Amino acid sequence: MNELVHGILSPQFFYSILRVTTPILFAALAALLSDVAGSTNIGIEGMMLMSAFWGVMVSAWTGSAWIGLLAGVTSSVLLSLALAYFYLNLKTDLVLAGIAFNIFSSGATVFLLYLFTGDKGSSSSLKSYVLPKIDIPLIKDIPVVGDILSGHHVLTYIAFISVFVVQYFIYKTPLGLRLRAVGENPDAAQSVGISVKKIRYISMLLSGLMAGFGGAFLSMGYVSWFARDMTNGRGFIGLAAQALGGHSAFGSMWGSLLFGLAEAASYTLQAIRIPSEFTNMLPFIFTIIALAIYARSKLLQIKKIKEEEKKA
Amino acid sequence: MKKLLVVLLAVFVVMSFAQLKVALLINGTLGDKSFFDSAARGIKMAEKDLGIKATIIEMGYDQSAWRPTLEDIADQDYDVIIVGTWQMQEILEDVAPMYPEKKFIIFDTTVDYSKGDLDNVYSILYKQNEGSFLAGALAAMITTSGMEKTNPQPIIGFLGGMDIPVINDFLVGYIEGAKYINPNIKVIISYAGAFNDPAKGKELVLAQYRQGADISFNVAGETGIGLLEAAKEMDKWAIGVDSDQALIVEEKDPDMAWHIVTSMMKNVDLSIYRALKLTIEGKCPYGKAEALGIAEKGIGLADNKYYEKIVPKKFRDKIKEIEKLILEGKIKVDTAFGMPREKLDELRNSVRP
Repeated sequence: MNELVHGILSPQFFYSILRVTTPILFAALAALLSDVAGSTNIGIEGMMLMSAFWGVMVSAWTGSAWIGLLAGVTSSVLLSLALAYFYLNLKTDLVLAGIAFNIFSSGATVFLLYLFTGDKGSSSSLKSYVLPKIDIPLIKDIPVVGDILSGHHVLTYIAFISVFVVQYFIYKTPLGLRLRAVGENPDAAQSVGISVKKIRYISMLLSGLMAGFGGAFLSMGYVSWFARDMTNGRGFIGLAAQALGGHSAFGSMWGSLLFGLAEAASYTLQAIRIPSEFTNMLPFIFTIIALAIYARSKLLQIKKIKEEEKKA
Repeated sequence: MKKLLVVLLAVFVVMSFAQLKVALLINGTLGDKSFFDSAARGIKMAEKDLGIKATIIEMGYDQSAWRPTLEDIADQDYDVIIVGTWQMQEILEDVAPMYPEKKFIIFDTTVDYSKGDLDNVYSILYKQNEGSFLAGALAAMITTSGMEKTNPQPIIGFLGGMDIPVINDFLVGYIEGAKYINPNIKVIISYAGAFNDPAKGKELVLAQYRQGADISFNVAGETGIGLLEAAKEMDKWAIGVDSDQALIVEEKDPDMAWHIVTSMMKNVDLSIYRALKLTIEGKCPYGKAEALGIAEKGIGLADNKYYEKIVPKKFRDKIKEIEKLILEGKIKVDTAFGMPREKLDELRNSVRP
């Protein structure tokens, strides 16, 4: 029990929550940006994987982590535009196309890895670069808080800053309004002269951008190599985190943090011999409970509104 | 005319026997820097030295394709078909009896011979428990040695891919080896539940190091890459697995290589070469499972420059001494195969921090 308290209450534990949350948060923001325009991006997982791959490859070739990041994000954005083309121009089913893109990325990254390095498992033979960690001046000197908030990977900070940017973008800018209009009612949006196609292209592009950051974080921060299928479901967990939070970037952030907390807890708990079957289950138990609470509060809300309508 | 046909047939049969046709089916892809690459290396060695004719087929990670591929290959004119890992076990148990004239070799697991009709299957097991005993002993010596990167607490770590018999066989040997050196040793045990999630592996091992472990044993495939990353980041020690992981990473990241004290290697290449050699000599025990240990060079700790520079001589001598004791049968290492769950839990709980 002592170890439990020691493990959970240490600043490193809270630090690790933020780190574990980062890729999920990017995925959740990617899901949010596509979802507000009514075209949920199922291909986030594949886009993250692609970005993780190109980030490593290009950083190894150029010797610069930043160019690697640029390449990773670009590859993800290109993939998202391709998905948008399939969906908007060729009228394929969005979910099916998204799944196809995921499978494609999984295969293509291994194929390209083999082509470039002769390996099929991981990029262990390549000397690739990672993005830096950042110490925040002032905050880093505060005892506990500094240990938790400072010294994170640069993309971790970008993730949390993005939450505010995305929230502002969706609710305070004209383009964000159009995005929401297209998502709520595309026909009505069309009738007032908004090009639904163009707006959805933009939302998909932004979604790919976020997924790209998430993927690059995995291979250029979390670890310093690319490994086959290394996203391992984080794109989908991001979709779930966004679903928890509804159409709000802050909601997505809380959803992601919930998953991050559950995951980080599952790591720490395992170290003190709580059965791994149980700890591996934790993040998903959290999801079900959170969804149930969310659904319940929604139901109550609807009931209340109906009762008020009756009164009126 | 008839006679001529018989002679021709006889010549043909003799000729085809002269050159053994071997197929290696890989249920995954090459490039894992570990098992499959090692198996392919064994085949190449046999091709060169034993004059066999070999084909290597990568079946990919889609499990539904494995069974039909194995049947396809068995339908063709190969004499010996080699597969590996526990994931192929059930498939082989179904397929092998349908081709009694073919020979099958499976490595790193065994088929269940009680199911019958498996006289044409030779199973190669590795006494990973023996090798892990050495790894555990080494870890237990290092953790309280006062060497750099260590703390005084007698706590060591273990990262498993999944809670399955093969992985637990490593664990049993590791715990017993550690207890052999220090009866009060504590082992932090984590299972990632996946073999391809390095980020999760890293996170788990960071938690281990945070809780006082200063060395951890990587038994988790590509998930274990995360362990190596964690060791480098927290400046702690790591023990690699399956192949010599220090040599794999040294080119890319010399700093990381200096955190890997040694690796517990399974010599899949040598074992496959040995099996094919025995097959040609007619001495390979088909219909049986064989566990290769230190004696058959099936397993062993990697003896490279890192091991020599990092590990003090007295520890290396101790490891040699233990190796000898195992060889002579004076140390008996338990195995997780066939071990009742209660006993395994008891062992795990006995080293719980």
